[in-house]
Amino acid sequence: MKKGRLSSVLCGVYVVCSMLYLYVPLLVLIVMGFNHSKYNSLPFEFSLRWYEALAENRALIQSCVNSLYLAAVTGVACAVLATMMLLGNPYLPRRLKNLAEFLMNMPLSIPWLVLGLSLLLMLRSVDMSKNLPFLLLGHIVVSFPYSALVLRSRMQSMDPALEEASASLGATAMTTFRRVTLPVIAPAVVAGGFLSFMISFGNFAISYFLIPVGMTTLPIEVNTSIKFGFTPEINAISTIVVGITVLCLALAGTILGSGIKSLFGGRK
Amino acid sequence: MRPNRRKWLSAPGLVLLLGFAVAPLFIMLYYSFQSDSGSGAFTLENYLRFFSKPFYMELTRRTIVNSLVVTVICLVIAFPLAYIMAKKFRRSSMVILAMLMLPFFTNQMVRVYSWLVFLQDGGILERLLNALGLAEGRLGILYTQTAVLIALVQVYFSYMVITLYMALDRLDDSLLEASANLGASKVSTFFKVILPLSWPGMLSGCLLVFVPCLGSFVEPRILGGVNGTVIGTVIEDQFFEIYGWNFGAAIAFVLLVMVMITTTLVSRIGEGAETT
Repeated sequence: MKKGRLSSVLCGVYVVCSMLYLYVPLLVLIVMGFNHSKYNSLPFEFSLRWYEALAENRALIQSCVNSLYLAAVTGVACAVLATMMLLGNPYLPRRLKNLAEFLMNMPLSIPWLVLGLSLLLMLRSVDMSKNLPFLLLGHIVVSFPYSALVLRSRMQSMDPALEEASASLGATAMTTFRRVTLPVIAPAVVAGGFLSFMISFGNFAISYFLIPVGMTTLPIEVNTSIKFGFTPEINAISTIVVGITVLCLALAGTILGSGIKSLFGGRK
Repeated sequence: MRPNRRKWLSAPGLVLLLGFAVAPLFIMLYYSFQSDSGSGAFTLENYLRFFSKPFYMELTRRTIVNSLVVTVICLVIAFPLAYIMAKKFRRSSMVILAMLMLPFFTNQMVRVYSWLVFLQDGGILERLLNALGLAEGRLGILYTQTAVLIALVQVYFSYMVITLYMALDRLDDSLLEASANLGASKVSTFFKVILPLSWPGMLSGCLLVFVPCLGSFVEPRILGGVNGTVIGTVIEDQFFEIYGWNFGAAIAFVLLVMVMITTTLVSRIGEGAETT
């Protein structure tokens, strides 16, 4: 009995240490956002000056708004496109279906760096300058698999007999979709959309290559300020960003429950 | 909608992925065979340049070694955690899972920036270690390979834990009990039962870590400084500093081939593991 106690204490210590490794830098960043010192130095002196500075920093706020806008469009587009694709897939000829399955996972297995620069080369090959719609397309491509994976696992667990029963009882295809299929997959559509939203919101690599001149996103702005010296407002905005992430993940997690694990199982 | 019409729902997604994920790679391949003079003629000079200079070979080696180190560290520290989640603390496993996912979905730049603040000389870690008497004076971790490794392991650690957790979760407890009842020690249960059965999960976890590490450039650039140069940062330089786009495309293609070889290799081994 005593031995069992000891081993669970050790296990607990291990879990706590792992979490410290994952969270301490982020927590330090958040605390430093409330520190008076400009160089993240101690002793800690509580102050809201960086949040006040942030409120004045138009460029940073604009970049955050741009990121949110990009991510929102990406999230919705991914959710819609992934739903359509997965609804159509079972009816494709076998070879096309295999291709579709492969393509859905592909953006995950190629480094974003490679995808980003190949998209940039694509623009150059047709002599176009960087533009917003193309940036958006890039974001949709890399965020797409996250929606698709979550949806696919939900659809796999759905009984096909449900749709058949509805059809044989005389429901039209549209009615079947609205009253049978959609209610089953809706949570996964929404949760997948949130995941794609987060991937786009945090994406640096694709934006780095494709951002139009004169536009910024939050990751780009953070990168610039790291290059040209510290701006403690970054601490403040990071806290807000972590907050947004927690919120989105909590939403997606609540909707999906343990189904969220499909993100990690579907990728081989 | 009749089934024969319903298949058209897949079209937009297919077009998107073919047009903006597959086609660009072919365009990249095309540019990698172009000369900077813009004559339009097919040339191998970019690849010859890459494979003939010891600098780039050393770079490739270093990139692969670094990614392997990150993968192995992830595996070693993730396995106990995954095991604890799957077999010891079942009831709190969902909470741990949620906590693992947050850093993964947190803005990459924010995460890198947080390490920058944490590891810098005169930063929190230095003060903490000095106060505890574990280290004296300057920390000197930032702008070294160590800093890059610490940050990369943090990012991909979650991936590894979750993949392993799912493999171990499927592993039937009665197998472990049977092994113990038959007199096997904990060590031999681990090597003869747990390890072989979680092997496919370990493989796919390693792949999930290794591949993105090969293509990482943000962490090496910001946390590694001049010591952080890897293939990813060289490609970035070609595009943003030197404007050697064709050469950059060639290096990127080499990187892509490395990724594809790894993926194929691992999935072959994985298939072998599942059939035996």
